[in-house]
Amino acid sequence: MKNFWYLFAAYSIIWTALCVYMLRLSQKNKELQAELRALQGQIEKALTR
Amino acid sequence: MYKNSNSFIALMSGSKIFLQQVLALLAKDLKTEWRTREIFTSMFVFAVLVIVVFNFAIGADTELIRQVASGVIWIALSFASVLGLQRTGQMESEEDSLQGILLALHDRSALFIAKMLAQMVYLLVVVLCTLPLCGIWFHIDFIARIGELGIVFMLGILGLSIVGTLFAMITLHTRAREVMLPMLFLPVSVPLTIASVYATAQLIAGMTLGDIADYISLIGVFDIVFFTLVLLVFEHIVEE
Amino acid sequence: MRTLSMLLISMISFPLVFIRNNSIFQAIIMYIVMTFAILLVFIYAPNEQMQGIVQKIFYFHVSSSVTAFSAFFFVFVASIMYLWKNAEWWDAVALSAAEIGVVFCTLVLITGPIWARPIWGTWWSWDPTLTLTLVLWLIYVAYLMLRMDVHDPKRARFAAVLGIVGYVDIPLILWSVEKWRTLHPKPVLIQEGGTTGLPFTMLLTFAVCLVAFMLLFFYLLRERVSIIQSQHTIEVLRHQVENLPTG
Repeated sequence: MKNFWYLFAAYSIIWTALCVYMLRLSQKNKELQAELRALQGQIEKALTR
Repeated sequence: MYKNSNSFIALMSGSKIFLQQVLALLAKDLKTEWRTREIFTSMFVFAVLVIVVFNFAIGADTELIRQVASGVIWIALSFASVLGLQRTGQMESEEDSLQGILLALHDRSALFIAKMLAQMVYLLVVVLCTLPLCGIWFHIDFIARIGELGIVFMLGILGLSIVGTLFAMITLHTRAREVMLPMLFLPVSVPLTIASVYATAQLIAGMTLGDIADYISLIGVFDIVFFTLVLLVFEHIVEE
Repeated sequence: MRTLSMLLISMISFPLVFIRNNSIFQAIIMYIVMTFAILLVFIYAPNEQMQGIVQKIFYFHVSSSVTAFSAFFFVFVASIMYLWKNAEWWDAVALSAAEIGVVFCTLVLITGPIWARPIWGTWWSWDPTLTLTLVLWLIYVAYLMLRMDVHDPKRARFAAVLGIVGYVDIPLILWSVEKWRTLHPKPVLIQEGGTTGLPFTMLLTFAVCLVAFMLLFFYLLRERVSIIQSQHTIEVLRHQVENLPTG
């Protein structure tokens, strides 16, 4: 297991980067969905008045 | 898409109007420049500065300097190119004349070709003024290979102008224009830079045109590919 | 040659961008394949005798590289389609693919040196493929900067032009960098990190990793495109809300 830490470093970086990116994406998506629903609710309320 | 094939046909058959418009635009740009010589001066001074500073950075080893001379010259040209393009872009946006010109044009790519030719002229003049200085400072005899060097420089300058003018037009209205232009221009022109530097270096070292044939073909292919590409997409760049 | 084949492989998956099936299903498949890939890499694939365990970085490193090239190919085609059809969706695909491509490209540029250091004894070598990746990284980071910067509808077109220009430049960059490389002494390689004559176990592992990464790419692409589309819808709805009759 001569160069284990290099291997560990490489895979950790890949894993972390991809996870961070995926989390950012789904976070953004959730926020946007919430905003979308809010806006749609607003419009519906105004139209059914 | 038909408009683009029109510009090809116009170019190929040397349509009189097209040529006239290109020359008219070119003349306008060159005349404006001739009055103040602002762009040329800044390009030339900048190129000289780059070369001199490199000289200091590399040290007093004459042999080493001779080896990197070609690279230094082309770096100076690339950076001077960026400078000139930024000034040209500034000129257009200051006068806001772009719209007027576009309306008057029969075929819009005339604008691109005119700007590209103008840029070539500036770079050519810069080269003509800088090479003698380099010859003196780096102890390189350019005159002996002036014919072959001429070919390499013309092709290289053509490439720099094509790519440079393209990105100059794209970044015209960008807020961070000073940063975006070099950021786009320099990486994309890497093949051109590499080929030109090594073609020039090998010519200086005494090889013949035949030896550097692959570099020259690379530069040539680069020029053709990008020229065609820009003509194809130019409509999309200036369309409102 | 190696780079060319990587480029060709990276183009094959393009038609898959049109698949719009259930995204949960996609996520599950991706998770399964990725887990399988990791299993293969660490347990199934044999240790290379010369390079030792560090060689295993190669599976994810090259997979990232092919995925990045794939992403840039997508930017290329999507840019052309956008300029041609003028449809927002293509522009969304272009931007998403560029962003994801830069992410994978960055990973390649980070894992490359980590692999090189114990094997070649040096952090960086101006190897043609690595250099190409560096230049591409610069070009597509500039692409992203261009998109963030200009606040007018034309930025999408400008970016599309760059997306086309950048990809067309690749063979030229490759050609010039390989010529340039032959002029420079190669690093004193303790081991050649070659991919020829791999035993079947390694090839299988590598293939599975590649598939896993491509699935990941498509998943990320979907997510990113849907974000852009949601943003557009929100803008449209905002306009509607502003123009609502009051009372």
